[in-house]
Amino acid sequence: MLEPKRMSRAVIVGHKSILEATVDALYTANLFQMEDFVEDGSGLEIGTPTGNVSEVSKKIVQIRSIASMLGIKDKEAKKQNENDVLRDLDAKLNELDSELTRRADKKSKLEAELKDIDSTKKELVPFTNIDLDLGLYRGYDSLVVFVGHVKEDPGVVVSNRISSFDYFYDPKEGVVALFAAKADSGVVSEALSSVGFREIRVPDVSGMPATLISDLEKKEAEIVQQMAALDAEVESLNDKYADFILASDEVLSIQTEKSEAPLKIATSDSTFIIDGWVLSEDYDKLNSVVESATNGRAFVSEQEISHEAEDLVPVEYNNSKAASPFEAIMDLYSRPNYKELDPSSIIFITFPLFYGMILGDMGYAAILLTLAFVLKKVISIEAVKPLLNILIYCQISTLIFGVLYGEFLGFPLASFHSSPGLIPGFETIDLFASPFGGEVITYPVHRSHLVMTMIAVTFLIGFIHLATGFMFGFINVKKQHGVVEAIFEKGSWLVIQLGLVLAVLGALGTLPVEIGVGALVIGLIMLVKGEGINGVVELPALLSNSLSYTRVIAVGLSSIYIASTVNEMAFGMIWQPGTSIGFMTIIAIIVFLAGHTLNTVLSIIAPGLHSLRLQYVEFFGKFYKGGGRKYSPFGYTRKYTED
Amino acid sequence: MSTEVVAAETAVNTVVDNSAGLKAIGAALAVSATGFASAWTEKEIGCAAIGAMTENENLFGKGLILTVIPETIVIFGLVVSLLIIS
Repeated sequence: MLEPKRMSRAVIVGHKSILEATVDALYTANLFQMEDFVEDGSGLEIGTPTGNVSEVSKKIVQIRSIASMLGIKDKEAKKQNENDVLRDLDAKLNELDSELTRRADKKSKLEAELKDIDSTKKELVPFTNIDLDLGLYRGYDSLVVFVGHVKEDPGVVVSNRISSFDYFYDPKEGVVALFAAKADSGVVSEALSSVGFREIRVPDVSGMPATLISDLEKKEAEIVQQMAALDAEVESLNDKYADFILASDEVLSIQTEKSEAPLKIATSDSTFIIDGWVLSEDYDKLNSVVESATNGRAFVSEQEISHEAEDLVPVEYNNSKAASPFEAIMDLYSRPNYKELDPSSIIFITFPLFYGMILGDMGYAAILLTLAFVLKKVISIEAVKPLLNILIYCQISTLIFGVLYGEFLGFPLASFHSSPGLIPGFETIDLFASPFGGEVITYPVHRSHLVMTMIAVTFLIGFIHLATGFMFGFINVKKQHGVVEAIFEKGSWLVIQLGLVLAVLGALGTLPVEIGVGALVIGLIMLVKGEGINGVVELPALLSNSLSYTRVIAVGLSSIYIASTVNEMAFGMIWQPGTSIGFMTIIAIIVFLAGHTLNTVLSIIAPGLHSLRLQYVEFFGKFYKGGGRKYSPFGYTRKYTED
Repeated sequence: MSTEVVAAETAVNTVVDNSAGLKAIGAALAVSATGFASAWTEKEIGCAAIGAMTENENLFGKGLILTVIPETIVIFGLVVSLLIIS
């Protein structure tokens, strides 16, 4: 439970003629992780791929480009027979390809047209207010036409120079169309330049601008409609071929992986050697799988794992189903290496415990629990599932602490002193006096009135959590370097912790102080021997790490204060229950909902992050190294096809 | 009662009142100053962590840990302020 699964190093040797059969069998069995062979001058060479790799890769590229064009996503689908898929592959692929190409061509043509129309429309805009057929702007022998933007009406300046001309001016757009005799063109252009004339191109069409524009708009709408129809057709192709594409992608990926496997394998002229890892529990299965696939002609042997190779061993978790979601938290930090303990099972307890202690509110627990269950139903992404399971564990813990603290959305359930609780008649019961700060322990526990006690309690929990960490460290060091080193390196910390506890008990008068001080001195000497001066430098960290656990109460209080402030604002300041219901009631409800929505979001982030940090920084710091490699056997779990 | 005694009593009361106020100010300073310190250091570390993550996404876990380490400062501040007030 606390250790990763045991692995065995297996080597498979055989004649090259049975290589393909062996690879096939390994792939189907999905239990053997191949180790890449590196050419080392021993005469063995990397193998060559089998089958027609380039052809298969070409098809994969084709399939994937089609899939991305159609926007096909992973989904649940009925499994198809692999041979059926392969038989229809070429025909269907060509059909699909031609259909898609045809549509893509048509669509790009329509898009180009649309662009053309748009630019023509833009060119026509300046002429909309000039009531003149566009065909009349050109084709004269003796006339010259000036069309362009001007800053002001050019009529006066031109009429000052020449007498015979005609012009149309649109003051809104500042556009002028001026007709004059060719002989006067020099004079006119000089006159126009004085009013800031900038020439514009006259579109090469004829007709009234307004009609032209409305025609173009009609055409535009038509094209948009055609494009929508094309999109709908592509959508229907998606529906029709999605299963086929997913299945053939899978079949082809499997083929490529199989045919490229020899690139990891050492070969000589007539033999092959496959080196790799298998779960110790699966070793016999591997043996029988290879034997039956090759009629006993390939030879499987188990190799001893050398000390240097220990870092290479792939790591597979070995946790109960309940604790397995917390492997996601381990992976986020770093997978444990093969030689150390896997603390997932401890985190399974401590992470929800700290989370619940921080949040401890029945209302938020109910909201988040519902949310987690709904999300679990809706979301089918594998990577998110463990996180949702963790959220569920945390909310169960929150619910339990919520009952202990008697809190619901920041309201106390029980009346306390003179302040009333949410449940009428439910009164806080005094249990006994706390040894800290002259406080009285009650049920329900009112955290905000038991600050000193809670600080002491969380400090103690931290002290114990750290001791667990040192014990884990002890086991790890013992496994790697022997029991003597373990006693001095990690055992010393445990002795120091024990010494501190005894010294405190001594100070309180239950024990002679000398016992505690003695243990402390012994622990210190052991520490100096085990870790040298570094150990002494780290000594104050014991205090700061334990104090760090007081965040459990501190962050919890901040969450309560936010919640009760929201409640106070909504149902104390804005509207009081019992007074007449009106506009302010609605405002109060809005404030209440918005405030608690905010606090719900904070209730995932703050307790989650702080609880996580206590694991990662304080707990892991005492023993954990990580850096393990993920165990990913050669093979594939089929989703869309079957043999 | 002489006027001097009354004056002395008033002075003592003022001092007592002031001590409550000073306590509150002390508590507020403990939280705000450490909060500022945490924020500042987390900003620096967070920037670097995001930089590292763009290079290698697997560093998220380590980046998160490094970023939250200075959080302890403000937690200590909060604990100290609670101690001052209670």
